[in-house]
Amino acid sequence: MKSKPVIMEHFSTVHTSFVIDFSFTNNVTILTGDSGTGKTVVYSFIKECMAVNADILCLNYLDYQRDIKDIISNTEGKLIVIDNADILLDDDTRKYISLDNRNQYLIIGRNPKNLFVTKENLFEVVSRKRGEQTELSLKEYL
Amino acid sequence: MITIFKDRKDIPQDMEYVELNDVFFNQNTVSMLDEKAGGIIEQIDDSKFLGKYKICSRFNDVVLDIDKLSAGCKTVLNVLYYPDKVFCLKECGNNALEVLYGLDEGNVYSDYALIPFNMDKVMVWNGTEKYGVNDYEELKGWWDNEK
Repeated sequence: MKSKPVIMEHFSTVHTSFVIDFSFTNNVTILTGDSGTGKTVVYSFIKECMAVNADILCLNYLDYQRDIKDIISNTEGKLIVIDNADILLDDDTRKYISLDNRNQYLIIGRNPKNLFVTKENLFEVVSRKRGEQTELSLKEYL
Repeated sequence: MITIFKDRKDIPQDMEYVELNDVFFNQNTVSMLDEKAGGIIEQIDDSKFLGKYKICSRFNDVVLDIDKLSAGCKTVLNVLYYPDKVFCLKECGNNALEVLYGLDEGNVYSDYALIPFNMDKVMVWNGTEKYGVNDYEELKGWWDNEK
């Protein structure tokens, strides 16, 4: 599914020696790939940005008891970052996300069911050492 | 070999099902870790196991609390150290699945197929009995409800 990002086309931040530099080409970006590649590391750095950037909302397994669909359906104008999506998102919420044009999504998980995505939505994290820094960016998964 | 459940109803009542592998690992499995964990942590997360509560990060060689392991790695360690419980399989990447499928025992659940490219024989439930499967296509068929 190809749809232009409605909140931001670029996101960058720094956390100590880590530099995140992401370019978004779709409104729904699925961040997938092997275990241990840094997906949750990325989540933690983006979540830190929530403190200073009102355009970001982060959800993960700590929100397991909350109604995720209710939260996002009452949210507007944000990049919604969801880690542990394979256990947090039910079918109904996935369908809602696929049709939501008020928010943008970065979904960390492996199950694309009901999100109506294609390979254009699938990305993985790649890390590159630059001196003492580690740069994390997005690369097409397929 | 591990046993796979695709229907929550098939999990015996005396077996606990754990969906949040992160929480279970941080609260329980972490205290059980021994030298067996080191190889798995290195294989899946490419990190060094420095002791029960510490790992060396693959990214910048910084010493981290072991709660920073990936959810996939935590899942495999949960299954390894608690073979009497059933753990959610859904947060395992292919590299974690390959290790998981090679464990001597353990139990996992997912309602959709998660099969590593190189799979070992596993046990599956068909609702009333369990049987062995060692073929990718057969296992995919079982998960997709084919006869």
